[in-house]
Amino acid sequence: MIAKPQIAKSSAGAAPAITVENLSFTYHGSDEPALRGISFIQSAGEMIGIVGASGVGKSTLAKCLNRIIPEFEGGRFAGRVIIGNRSFEDLAVHDVAGAVGMVFQDFEAQLFSTNVAHEVAFAMEQAGMSRAEMVRRIGPALQAVGLAGFEHRDPTTLSGGEKQRLAIAAVLALEPGVIVMDEPTTDLDPEGRAEVFALIQHLRAQGLTLVVIEHETGELRGCDRILLMREGAIAADAPPGELFTRIDLLEESGVRPPDLNRVLAGLGISQPADDVDQAEVLIRCTFPNLPHPLASAIDAPSDSMKLSAETPLVELNDLTFSYAADRRALDAVSLKVMPGEFVAVIGQNGSGKTTLAKHIIGLLTPERGRVMLDGRDRSQLRPAESAHLVGYVFQNPDHQIFAATVEDEVKFGPRNFGLPADEIEHRCAEVLRAVNLEHERAADPFLLGKGQRQRLAVASVLALRPRLLILDEPTTGLDYREQRRMMTLVSDLNRAGIAIVMITHTPSLVAEYARRVILMRSGRIIFDGPVGGFFAQHELLRTSSFRAPEVIELAARLGTIAATPEKLANWIRDHR
Amino acid sequence: MPLYFYIDRAGVLHRLHPTVKVLALFVMFWSVYWVDHPLALLPLAIVIMLAARSAGAWPNFYRLRWLFVMVIFFTALAWMVFYRRGPALLDLGIIHLSRASLLFGFGRGLKLAELLATSVVFLSTTKIEEFTVGLLSIGVPYRAGFAITLAFRLAPLFMDSAVTVYQAQALRGYDFNRGGPLARVKRYVPVIIPVFMGSLRKANAMAMALEARGFGRLSQPTSFIEYPIAARDVIATIILIMIAAAYFMIYYSGYGAISLK
Repeated sequence: MIAKPQIAKSSAGAAPAITVENLSFTYHGSDEPALRGISFIQSAGEMIGIVGASGVGKSTLAKCLNRIIPEFEGGRFAGRVIIGNRSFEDLAVHDVAGAVGMVFQDFEAQLFSTNVAHEVAFAMEQAGMSRAEMVRRIGPALQAVGLAGFEHRDPTTLSGGEKQRLAIAAVLALEPGVIVMDEPTTDLDPEGRAEVFALIQHLRAQGLTLVVIEHETGELRGCDRILLMREGAIAADAPPGELFTRIDLLEESGVRPPDLNRVLAGLGISQPADDVDQAEVLIRCTFPNLPHPLASAIDAPSDSMKLSAETPLVELNDLTFSYAADRRALDAVSLKVMPGEFVAVIGQNGSGKTTLAKHIIGLLTPERGRVMLDGRDRSQLRPAESAHLVGYVFQNPDHQIFAATVEDEVKFGPRNFGLPADEIEHRCAEVLRAVNLEHERAADPFLLGKGQRQRLAVASVLALRPRLLILDEPTTGLDYREQRRMMTLVSDLNRAGIAIVMITHTPSLVAEYARRVILMRSGRIIFDGPVGGFFAQHELLRTSSFRAPEVIELAARLGTIAATPEKLANWIRDHR
Repeated sequence: MPLYFYIDRAGVLHRLHPTVKVLALFVMFWSVYWVDHPLALLPLAIVIMLAARSAGAWPNFYRLRWLFVMVIFFTALAWMVFYRRGPALLDLGIIHLSRASLLFGFGRGLKLAELLATSVVFLSTTKIEEFTVGLLSIGVPYRAGFAITLAFRLAPLFMDSAVTVYQAQALRGYDFNRGGPLARVKRYVPVIIPVFMGSLRKANAMAMALEARGFGRLSQPTSFIEYPIAARDVIATIILIMIAAAYFMIYYSGYGAISLK
């Protein structure tokens, strides 16, 4: 049973920008309400972060604020949403656009024009503004998001972070009182994420009223308040400094607590930390005898790569490939992946990670160089042989799911290779158990949650029993609980002897799960070594726009290398 | 590989008024419609090639080169099966090769290729926004015009998605080339379903984003981009009207038809 929180106003005296009164909503065709009696008041200029597991109603709540619900997505709607002092009950979504701006996760789906300036003008055209007024507003809007000078660029040529900032500029141009952002950085690489969060802080400093839905709690520390949602209701409404110390509540709610607070809580320190400096001070005050770090201890990698006499599972020699004549997507790349390894491949979008993977699985043929799988030339292998060596799980599970049932989806691959029926049945049962979907055998895959679909995609590749599994961004769009489940599965597979190559943008996954990291930039490998050694290379991290997880930074300050809050807390207890 | 056809240049064709570009598209389709003989279609082919050269559209033609070859070859071949007129030069049963079937088949292939080439030049020189303005100027309602132009923008994205899905299924050992022609078409179900579902999701996300930006609030929104009529637009319009009239005259006088003698 979730306790109903008090309706809170953090900025005493400030006029309310959003008032939500007893809001409930049930989607058509569903018996379960997506929202259950939500009430809160947000003052003008306040920034509220909304956290919660997938499916608890965060996006539903956001859509209620600008009338997408119930106008666009129908269902049973009850309660009131008041923006400023006006209720929009009788208005359509497009009538509310000037009052509530909305930024969505999928930045590709928000851009409609062939020119940045026109993209910003689009909403103003819809509002019937004069061209002079549009010209007056476009400059400041682009200036605010750091895209001044991009007016004539084609939006498709922008990076992910730039596209999302453009989407925000398009909203800003209407000068709405409230901006709602629904997971605006989920599809972005680390550089893009950093750009968007810096912009959000900038907008906040300008006094805009912001509602930001986000899985990464660490990014919401600058909010005035956090709403924690569970089962369609608000389970907690508190400032981040207070809520983010309630580790058990967050974890029960499927929300990842900030790593620094997890370390502190593990040491019995109840105060929160906003950054690594604060955390270090709190720890050193509590444990004054903790040793100070030696430079050599920080820089020494804790793990080392084993030299093996085994035949490499993958061997790339001098691999070169270009999509266009003027730029190499891969430039003389050489590497080996040994049986049983767990390798993380990282780098900005366009650095060559997916191109590299596509060469290993044979979707691309190199202009120069050779791909060897298990000591044999890739080009000489029959499809069944290569499928037994390498499996590839695409970033978006929906790029492969098509069958009517989970079972049929898993059996699709083995059937294609003509395996006997009893063998197919055996493998199907085995992999569904491995991915924890054995009770969903008869379910329609399209009705599963994103995390389940991602695990189904893994299962359908595992059914071919590859010795190496390549996963392209396996946790994108998953909440904390689903991410943990997914990565536990991947770890278990690795322990069972399957080599893993994981393409990822998430530093914490690299730190917690991988043993070796390959950093790519402009089609070249610029680092290939143990994870511990990688995170000790501060200059390399800085120039790669890849931020080490805070727990690793804190560990380095304290003189050790630890990938998880639990390991660091244990180390501190052992050395206090 | 670029997903879109538009080539950002400041050429004469690029700078034509959107209405004139839509008129050009209509005139080319009109002219192609009235004649069958390859020789009558040849001047249009030359006009299109000159336009392509002026627009710098060759990279797009190069991308589609095999499509052009296939369209002409297979259309010509197909009409040798169905167009069985004129004395046979070679009769292979199903294929009736005569001067008339050759000319008619090649003419039909050339027609389709010219329609395709006109579209390529149009898309190489026309931005989505201009396309919308062009459609509005001939009386298409704003919502419909926007939807049509958005479809052009989305089509390459869906093609890209289809390639990824195709690769995902092929990696699981799926053989798309097994069986006869009908069976092969059916074997694309594992591609069609994910692409269709993905398209629905994308379309839904776009529709929401459009509404959230105020789309549909006014039946005639204002326009940020202004398109003043220039002398080149007047000249182009006169040339287009002359082409349209000339091709109707060719049809009317019977010169564009294929003689069975």
